[in-house]
Amino acid sequence: MPAFGHWIARFALLFLSLIVLGGCAVNFVAAYDETTDRLLTDLSLKTETAILRADSGQLTAEDRDKFFDESLGTVRALKARSSLFAKNEDEIAALGTLEQRYEALRKHGGPPRSSLATGLRGTLLDLQQIQIAKKRSSIFSAGLKKTGSNP
Amino acid sequence: MSINIPQLVQSMLGAASGAAKGHAEDLKNYLEARAKLIAEGVAAIASDRLANKINDDDVRFAFDEIKESEASARAAVTVTLKTAAQDAINAALNVAASAINTAVGIAIL
Repeated sequence: MPAFGHWIARFALLFLSLIVLGGCAVNFVAAYDETTDRLLTDLSLKTETAILRADSGQLTAEDRDKFFDESLGTVRALKARSSLFAKNEDEIAALGTLEQRYEALRKHGGPPRSSLATGLRGTLLDLQQIQIAKKRSSIFSAGLKKTGSNP
Repeated sequence: MSINIPQLVQSMLGAASGAAKGHAEDLKNYLEARAKLIAEGVAAIASDRLANKINDDDVRFAFDEIKESEASARAAVTVTLKTAAQDAINAALNVAASAINTAVGIAIL
């Protein structure tokens, strides 16, 4: 009988564990996407270059139009891509804010000097932090899967 | 083999806090970088206005833009906190699963 009790306890433990753990991890945020990260890095680089050139008076009106057209195109493509992932509402909202910052700066007119572009640069930094958080989590999750839960 | 509950709780807490620690460091670095960016931006606004490179409308626009960008800062903090919570919970669950596997003697989970 003690052996039977032992097996009942094991079965109960197994049953409970299957219910509680469900064999899967919790997931509050969309997975890290390398393409989004790369496009954002490229966009930041392009924006910082345009701001530097504007500060030194080297950004022509033609360059400025091209910069805003290409930047807005990239942001809209990123928004479309981000909307394909579940649990990605915060990133989509941040991309919406980024789109508004480019549009506002273009509508305001004149060169995008660093004194005028702090809001835009801040939002780019915010989106980079979102990628850093997702990447850290992705690396951590991969580590958990690799180590597994073997006895 | 039975499970030592106090020891398991300690192990789960240790794993959870270890998982969240990296995110906490990232958040600190991010908030510092964000504050520095705003401080430098405000200095540039003052400097450009004093040098007549921008006018009063530009100053108001630039400051409004900084305020508007706080919406995405909120999103960045939210995602960082969510990923920290996610990793902490998953680390704790991993320890719990490991304890179950050890207790029953086979790798079920």
